[in-house]
Amino acid sequence: MIWFSALVLIPLMAVVVTAVEGGWDVFWATITNGQTSAAIRLTVLTALGVTAVNVVMGPLIAWVLVRDRFWGKSVLEVMIDIPFALPTIVAGLVLLSLYGNDSPVGVDIANERPAVFLAFLFVTLPFVVRMVQPVLEELDRDVEEAAASLGASRITTFRRIILPSLAPAIAAGAALSFARGVSEYGSLVLLSGNLPFKTEVTSVRILSSIENDNVPAAAAVATVLLAISLAVIVLLDLIQRRVAARG
Amino acid sequence: MSIEVRGLNKNFGDFVALDDVDVTIPTGQLTALLGPSGGGKSTLLRIIAGLEKADTGSVSIEGVEATHLPAQKRNVGFVFQHYAVFKHMTVAKNVAFGLEIRKRPKDEIEHRVRELLELVHLSQFAHRLPSQLSGGQRQRMALARALAVEPSVLLLDEPFGALDAKVRKELRDWLRRLHDDVHVTTVFVTHDQEEALEVADEIVVINEGRVEQVGTPDQLYDEPANDFVMSFLGEVTHLGGLALRPHDIELESSPSLAGSVEGTISRLVRIGFEVRLTVLTVDGEEVSVVVTRAHARAQRLEEGRTVWLTPAPGAAVVPRMAAAV
Amino acid sequence: MADTLVPEIVDAPPAEERRRPPRVRKTPVTYLMRFVVTAYLFFLVAWPVSLVATNTFANGFDSIRSLVEDPDMVVALQLSAYVAVWSVVINTLFGVGISLLLVRHEFPGKRLLNALLDIPLSVSPIVVGLALVLVYGGRNGWFGPFLLDAGFQVIFSTPGIIMATTFVALPLMIREIVPVLEEIGTEQEQAAESLGASGLQRFWRITLPSIKWGITYGVVLTLARSLGEFGAVKVVSGNVLGQTRTATLAVEEKYLNFDQQGAYATAFLLAMVSVACIVVVAIIRPKNHP
Repeated sequence: MIWFSALVLIPLMAVVVTAVEGGWDVFWATITNGQTSAAIRLTVLTALGVTAVNVVMGPLIAWVLVRDRFWGKSVLEVMIDIPFALPTIVAGLVLLSLYGNDSPVGVDIANERPAVFLAFLFVTLPFVVRMVQPVLEELDRDVEEAAASLGASRITTFRRIILPSLAPAIAAGAALSFARGVSEYGSLVLLSGNLPFKTEVTSVRILSSIENDNVPAAAAVATVLLAISLAVIVLLDLIQRRVAARG
Repeated sequence: MSIEVRGLNKNFGDFVALDDVDVTIPTGQLTALLGPSGGGKSTLLRIIAGLEKADTGSVSIEGVEATHLPAQKRNVGFVFQHYAVFKHMTVAKNVAFGLEIRKRPKDEIEHRVRELLELVHLSQFAHRLPSQLSGGQRQRMALARALAVEPSVLLLDEPFGALDAKVRKELRDWLRRLHDDVHVTTVFVTHDQEEALEVADEIVVINEGRVEQVGTPDQLYDEPANDFVMSFLGEVTHLGGLALRPHDIELESSPSLAGSVEGTISRLVRIGFEVRLTVLTVDGEEVSVVVTRAHARAQRLEEGRTVWLTPAPGAAVVPRMAAAV
Repeated sequence: MADTLVPEIVDAPPAEERRRPPRVRKTPVTYLMRFVVTAYLFFLVAWPVSLVATNTFANGFDSIRSLVEDPDMVVALQLSAYVAVWSVVINTLFGVGISLLLVRHEFPGKRLLNALLDIPLSVSPIVVGLALVLVYGGRNGWFGPFLLDAGFQVIFSTPGIIMATTFVALPLMIREIVPVLEEIGTEQEQAAESLGASGLQRFWRITLPSIKWGITYGVVLTLARSLGEFGAVKVVSGNVLGQTRTATLAVEEKYLNFDQQGAYATAFLLAMVSVACIVVVAIIRPKNHP
């Protein structure tokens, strides 16, 4: 406990304390500063967009991995985990090599907003898939067959039977991928160019405040991110509780 | 006396698991703790083993005061309902565990393990992992493991509860014979009255945290202390304010015996060699009666006939409790 | 003799649990989904990652060779490895401890602790770095000046890097062990207790062997995460060439200095390690979960 406090809790408290030391007005002024609020808006909106894509693609990928059988499936399995294990800076470089100015396919989005989107998409890939996959594996096929025997079409079965069972997992995965997107830094360093008002995300904004020795400003923005993380954690806890209550 | 339990109380929150329990368990015998689920019998067993702490009361094992002794120092063998096998160890390693903890010499351990595996018929599985055994085999392994340390008492918590009916019956016979061979003081928990009646030398009936009766299977069956014990050990019906067994009711087609009750057969079902009757008496009681098929045929029993009912002489009878149905 | 004592007990070992083979109804939708998923993963993951390899070896092994001949780079790689090993060791010890606490004990605030453990996964690494600087910073952190007086510099030095790395990788071990502990329950430990094993003996002989696979995955994941940490380390390390520059920091530095070959080569090495880690996990995992 002491160890956990020293390593995690006290430092995080320090962030919040530093942020509010200057008073509410200063805090508010800092985070509504034009450049900062632009960065926050870009981060949150992009993370939301990416999460939306993941909510569609995640279950689809999980479905194919669980229900389909074909040669090379195990390779796809490994691919899902790569974004999680790959150092973020390497992830940025990796994306840059295909979608940067030396792109072999002629798609150059480096230093553009889509680059932020792409980087988020890459690093958040595993979350929804890995949450949905085990649930889908556990799903009792008898239930689907029962639905079919009661006259439900495959689409109805999916919508009325499968989707509701997957929903908590999808929601949990979405929350995690949103949190990860909002907090992403490493993969953007090389890819996005960090142009103020254009491709600068919140984490980068914090870092530049730190480098300019403006610690209170950094702490203020960090507190916003921290609040988002906490909200996500609370949400996850609620989802887990609901699932547990359902049995 | 091998195990002495005095004034034991145990609550889980608001729930009273044991309510001032006194039990004495004799040395060298096979004793059953019998009762319905949630009646406190497993809790009692776990307190004897030291796996649970009593709120108040004392436990002594073989004359040694054990109330505050941790489980590891009590030298009891414990067998769990779900076997509690050490999944990562081979069968032989499982059995050797207690001996290794006691730092016995290697060759002694080896010898003893071989001996025990033979006893429980698992010699050929010595080097398998428990996951490769069936439920019955796992439970026999768990038994060998518990016996390996030569415990002063052997405690079994619903040992056959997780097995299917056929295996359960075979293991039950086997346990009886094993006990006749080994003679270690053994206590086992069960909710199956047939199992208790068949295997145990002595039965302790426990219900709602209290000891209802202690006695041999015959005593319990023939002289039940109360309505609960009677109904838990077998079928019960009521006749004229008495609780008794349906096969202990004599049925006549004429009022030849004094004190007989008149009634009409409202239902008649033949099940194999016996015939089950429901008789509606003139007092408005519904009485179940079991007679042999020959008897029914001789008296030409059929639905709608008027009959007279009397408790058979020497039948186990207890006064009907007001609250019990 | 014994044969007459015990009748043959008819009780066959469990047949291998047979899962019904998935019935794949191959409709056009199946193929469409398969195609979409494969293409998506190909463009998002497979192709970009493979390009790093091709870029690295565009000039044969030159780039790798120049990398290992650069003393600063060797120091960076060593530092990364050193930090990762420490992070793994610390997270393993405390991870096992905290997991046991979470699963086996009831205490007030347990739910809160359980929820807070996920913070490192969802908070920005930059925030992590900032938080550590605020507390342990040498000049005006909460504890920093005190520690500095005691001759112990945390921030802009190796201990700070280790702390940052340990922080971000903290939940991985715990999240691997907790479900295993929950699944095995306490019966085996109780059985060992009734057989005379002391607390320590129960831990070494029963609990630890039961969770060893969980720990193994935890170690692999923690290792991958620790080697790859970038943002938090960037804030706390000071990024001093040849001293506190880790391999991931070197990738950025090289790229921004137009040493693309060097950047790709370093990235390739790091990617190899992390891919190796997940392949290892993918290979050993099915054995434990039949």
